Amino acid sequence: MNFYLKLLFFVLILLWVLGIFIEVIIPQFDNLAFLYPFLKIIYSHVCHQQPEKVLSIDGNNLLVCSRCTGIYLGSLVASLILLFVPIIKINNIKYLILATVPMLIDVILYSSGVYSYSKELALFSGILFGIAGIIYIYNGLQILLAEKRKGKN
Amino acid sequence: MKKYLSPLIVGFGAGVLSIVPVAKSFGCCLIIPVAAFIALLLDQKANNNYSKIEIKKGLVFGLLTGLYAALFGSFFDFFITFITKNNDIVATYSELQKVITEFPISEALKDEVMSILAGVVEAIKSTGFSLLYTLSVLVNNIVLNSVFGMLGGIIGVQILNSRSRKNLD
Repeated sequence: MNFYLKLLFFVLILLWVLGIFIEVIIPQFDNLAFLYPFLKIIYSHVCHQQPEKVLSIDGNNLLVCSRCTGIYLGSLVASLILLFVPIIKINNIKYLILATVPMLIDVILYSSGVYSYSKELALFSGILFGIAGIIYIYNGLQILLAEKRKGKN
Repeated sequence: MKKYLSPLIVGFGAGVLSIVPVAKSFGCCLIIPVAAFIALLLDQKANNNYSKIEIKKGLVFGLLTGLYAALFGSFFDFFITFITKNNDIVATYSELQKVITEFPISEALKDEVMSILAGVVEAIKSTGFSLLYTLSVLVNNIVLNSVFGMLGGIIGVQILNSRSRKNLD
């Protein structure tokens, strides 16, 4: 994967993440207020947006829950790092499974009432999953490009 | 058509799940990527072919699963909205109003945003249909579900190939 393709992915993920923070951004850029109702609809299709699970900054709520925020922030951080770090070919799925385990354990434990929902835990487990997810997506894209090259030859 | 039967079946299921409130909150943004993976898994089982899958196939299956889920999900959403004259936007209207009035922006801008929103809510309450809502949901579902489906397809192929490698070892 070349730098420009990775840069494109980073910009797309950045725009997606900025959308989550629209309530925080609007006071700085008034005209973006028009986007608010539409972004609310858009993000409602990828997240339940339950108020008690949503993070807020200075009283401004984010448009997705803590876990989804974590997933997208993790993806953003990983895509930023991968801009400058070459992608290592991964042949097995164990790192993705390892990154998913904390999220699954958290969901199972709070759903069964062992402890109450923790925004911090959800955010952290989401970040882990987001980082692993983007690494595997990049890995897959690298394999796809190799398949294409092989097809051409 | 038979070649792409599993994305159709799983896409239908994902479309239904994406509008069921409880399932929606459990699945969150993972419904579509997981659906793309299941579509690939079903295809393997149906054809009894466990050889290495190309990422390209994962992308196509993910895209189709996402598109089917978007079409079915949107259709069910519009149908339920039309019958009940109620949906998430109507239900959260007062909350949205509160948020917008609290924005530190000019009153004129607030009024314009509120009038757009009020128009959508009024149309849904009176006729069960709003063109702006319909278009935004349809475009949003098609774009988002396709992207999430393709991402699920890319990861799904790697999971299935990893399993196949293990079986060969």
